[in-house]
Amino acid sequence: MPDAVADLWQTLPVMAQDIAWFVLLLLPALVVGIVVLAGYRPFALVGAILWRFRWTSLLFVALIAVSVGIGVGLIAQERGLRQGTARAADKFDLIVTAPGSEVTMMMAAVYLQPVDAPLLSGAVYNEIASHDRVSLAAPIAFGDSYRAAPVIGTTADFVSHLSGDLATGRLFATHGEAVIGARVALDIGDSFEPAHGAGPAAEEGAHAGAAYTVVGRMRPSGSPWDKAILVPVEAVWAVHGLPDGHGPQHEGALGPPFDADYFPGTPAILVRAEELWANYALRSDFTRADTMAFFPGAVLARLHSLLGDVRQVMSVMAIVTQVLVTAGVLAGLVILTRLFSRRLALLRALGAPRRFVFAVVWSYAAALIGAGAALGIGVGVAATAIISRVVTARTDILVRASLDWPELHLVAGFVSLTVLLALVPAFVALNRPVAPELRA
Amino acid sequence: MDDALALTVSDLRVLGDDGRAILTVPHLAVPQGAAIGIRGPSGAGKSTLLFALAGLASRASGRVAWGTTDIVAMGEGDRAAFRRERIGMIFQDFLLFEELGALANASLAASFAPRRRRGAIARQAGATLARLGLAGGARAVASFSGGERQRVAVARALSTDPAIILADEPTASLDRETADRLVDDLVALARETGKTLIAVSHDPAVHRRMDRLVDVVDGTLAAEAPADA
Repeated sequence: MPDAVADLWQTLPVMAQDIAWFVLLLLPALVVGIVVLAGYRPFALVGAILWRFRWTSLLFVALIAVSVGIGVGLIAQERGLRQGTARAADKFDLIVTAPGSEVTMMMAAVYLQPVDAPLLSGAVYNEIASHDRVSLAAPIAFGDSYRAAPVIGTTADFVSHLSGDLATGRLFATHGEAVIGARVALDIGDSFEPAHGAGPAAEEGAHAGAAYTVVGRMRPSGSPWDKAILVPVEAVWAVHGLPDGHGPQHEGALGPPFDADYFPGTPAILVRAEELWANYALRSDFTRADTMAFFPGAVLARLHSLLGDVRQVMSVMAIVTQVLVTAGVLAGLVILTRLFSRRLALLRALGAPRRFVFAVVWSYAAALIGAGAALGIGVGVAATAIISRVVTARTDILVRASLDWPELHLVAGFVSLTVLLALVPAFVALNRPVAPELRA
Repeated sequence: MDDALALTVSDLRVLGDDGRAILTVPHLAVPQGAAIGIRGPSGAGKSTLLFALAGLASRASGRVAWGTTDIVAMGEGDRAAFRRERIGMIFQDFLLFEELGALANASLAASFAPRRRRGAIARQAGATLARLGLAGGARAVASFSGGERQRVAVARALSTDPAIILADEPTASLDRETADRLVDDLVALARETGKTLIAVSHDPAVHRRMDRLVDVVDGTLAAEAPADA
């Protein structure tokens, strides 16, 4: 029988599974509500109590909303970061660099974090570029910058690979031309001089006289490349007083093929295979003593799984926080019910069944929990939207805030658990003597 | 009028929290439809008696029989059911839900009554409010005068058409003129429908309108006195 259920479960679409989970998690709350309220209509009274103690009620709702919001925000933010970083690495199938740290080289080549890296030789480059399965082999020569924007030497093919069609302008065709990312603060026709290095250590004027003119702008990609300036790799070499990758008799256009003898080196090469499976063959071909090949997606997945453990710890902490806040609120409710104990005693005097009085107190608590949980989803989404904007501004990795099932599952579980806990103040309220409360 | 719900109290003892008797009633008999005033000094046990008659005394012994129903012998749930069906209660300080309107307060019993009785309760509440000169609007009773509030409380007590009305100092929070009008209305409503009215009160104006008076002194029900005393 459990097998049959498991089989049925597996046949459900993901969406249906999510909905089923949500309903299942919310079910205890619904069942308790139906059992407690059956046959009664306490809502006018609950409304009156809510209104009478509106500021206290609002405070309780706000406390619950903040604690739920932290949990929702945590899950949504973590997912947003994960999706954002993965999206930013989307175009980078396989990276080949000199042996070293995959994470460091991924940060440099994909996320454009400045790093000093050893170079790959022209021989290696040509070996990759001439490989049967390789459709694109582009040098990624980082190191220079203009203001905050990294200046990357590469090929026109790579620009097309990143952006598809340009948003405006055209690809670079000569040494002095540059294509800029979607969010670089330059315009077509502007000229600039790059600095050697990046950040506070950049040497302004080191490349005096080597000016670039902007001729095109890429489409937005939601990655740090939106803030990058792409120039011909030949120009980067030339600016540094190095050979430009082509022999003396070369009269032709920019880009490959390069002459290995005149190839000064590149810290990283982006490789794109004709077929997906070929990437694996290429990775094993270039994993050897003088080169390192890795899938940024796989490195990222390892990082994410590491962060996933952290996320689970944080989720548990968020849930504990939520339950603690709610326990505090429910303890407050026990005290608050003393404030309306005369009205509850009146109900008993009028002949209301114990269960009705119980239903009134429980409904009041459930209303606070329900409102707090609903508001908490809003708080979580709003917090995620703000944090995502900050992260996007700081890292140039587009992080989107979104609301998804895991958060809703968390909230449903929270509502069920706390609504069950809310039975306690309702019991406490019942066990006060009636007659003394009724005297003037 | 049959005496199906005549009150017979015998050997009632109500104990306080410290275990000592705070009220002793050797004997009290009230025919159905009578109007009885309970008077006595403050703290003598008048309200205790009234709550014991309603089945709200937690530590009582002896017999409080409405007809054949001994409310002392019943469990808490049955007592509540008996109050729900048979008793309307009125309090000195009204005990209304301030945030609700007159009709919502007067028909409060509908929120826990069986579905089939809800309509009748709301109709009865509305009719009594109209009879007492109050519109049933949604305006919260927080803005009502004392007299208006007590009339809402009377309508609430009568909404289930109970056979018994128990009133605890119904006029003590009202000015003279309002109090007189309220007692007139309350007694008239009770007499019209043959309800038993038992009112704890200091107020001679209440006493004058009763059939007879009983005195509670030092926690004991003393000899009965004629109503005009």
